[in-house]
Amino acid sequence: MAGSGQIRQLKRRIKSVQSTQKITRAMEMIAASRILKAKGRVRAARPYAEGIHDIIRGLAVSNEVRSHPLLVQRDIQRVAVLVNTSDRGLAGAYNANVLKVAERTIAEEEGKGRTVDLYVVGKKGAGYFAYRGRRALQVWEGVADTPHIDEAGDIAETMMARYRHAELDRGWLVYTDFKSSLTQVPVRMELLPVKPTEFEGGREIDPEFIFEPAQDELLNTLIPRYVEAKVFHGLLESSASEHANRQRAMKAATDNAKEVAANLSRIMNQARQEQITTEISEIVGGAEALGD
Amino acid sequence: MSDATMTVEVVSAEAHVLSGEARELYARAVEGEIGILPGHAPALVALDVGPLRLTMDDGTKERIAVHKGVLFVGDDGKVIVLADIAERAQDIDLDRAKAKAQRAQERLARGTDADLEARLVSLRKQQLRIQVASGTEATHSG
Repeated sequence: MAGSGQIRQLKRRIKSVQSTQKITRAMEMIAASRILKAKGRVRAARPYAEGIHDIIRGLAVSNEVRSHPLLVQRDIQRVAVLVNTSDRGLAGAYNANVLKVAERTIAEEEGKGRTVDLYVVGKKGAGYFAYRGRRALQVWEGVADTPHIDEAGDIAETMMARYRHAELDRGWLVYTDFKSSLTQVPVRMELLPVKPTEFEGGREIDPEFIFEPAQDELLNTLIPRYVEAKVFHGLLESSASEHANRQRAMKAATDNAKEVAANLSRIMNQARQEQITTEISEIVGGAEALGD
Repeated sequence: MSDATMTVEVVSAEAHVLSGEARELYARAVEGEIGILPGHAPALVALDVGPLRLTMDDGTKERIAVHKGVLFVGDDGKVIVLADIAERAQDIDLDRAKAKAQRAQERLARGTDADLEARLVSLRKQQLRIQVASGTEATHSG
């Protein structure tokens, strides 16, 4: 039998579900506005990356790039895997998806007898690997949400320095590609060595140009910028994807909360009705007993 | 395109910073201060940490703090600056830059020699930002 105590309890649960719904709704809307911003940042970073790429390709026509320390190919023994995850949770399967690609890459490389060095962006990825007993060589926190170029530079330089010193023979960049607000795909890209084919097909820069410093030195300073731009691109794409995933997760949570609240209030109404019916029949029964 | 101006575009790794017609442009290249006037010969120049100064078509002056990058003068006379970091004077928070410079200085004083260069660079960056934001930079490299 439904007592008034049960009704009070239901009322309290409905209230708590509704306040949770308010929170998830707010998070959903915040994430939605962050997607727009993050998409804008991806777009804004493009002219620089393309400009650098164009100039390198232009210089590569008449200059030898294959001997650059970041393009040198070695027998692969030591591999770095850089994984982009988020600092914060509540983003659906975002981290799980990108970590799956990272795990696959690690398994593949280790399957070939290579040593894997792990680099992680984001607390979530760091926690994931620490729990599984695989320590990252370096973790960057507070970067994933709104990445900046100096942070990307720092991350890229960490790997490039080791590559130059032949402490690494390959570098993977694992991130989430933001295809659209609906689809984000975890991908991996070979960051190092830079492949000579990436610099092919450029329009030659007229050798009559004034080069300061000389062309080969310019290439030496520009190629690292190119790698940095790639890392930055991965960070920006990941950040946009994180916000898109969070928006979706929070929308699902909001919808769920709405449903739970509706169900609870149905149960509550039923209980109230039952209580009233019982009361009426008690009164009627009582009145009849008196009337006899 | 008239002879008196050139199209200039300044792009940083994070954003489009400025585009417009300029009468003159000064920047600090790796090998010294350079000035670009309309009709400059095609060039590709690596930039250092330094101020980028522009006089626009309408006579207004623009100051931009540039941290490394390249300056490209195309054969069409168009000037493209690809800067790793570029901030216009009006976008720099002077107080914060000063606080950062202060911290960089403190770090410089007590750190080890191992990453001395990195700390020097970060101090120089902050000093440049202060310089550009307060409009006190010298006409010549200083």
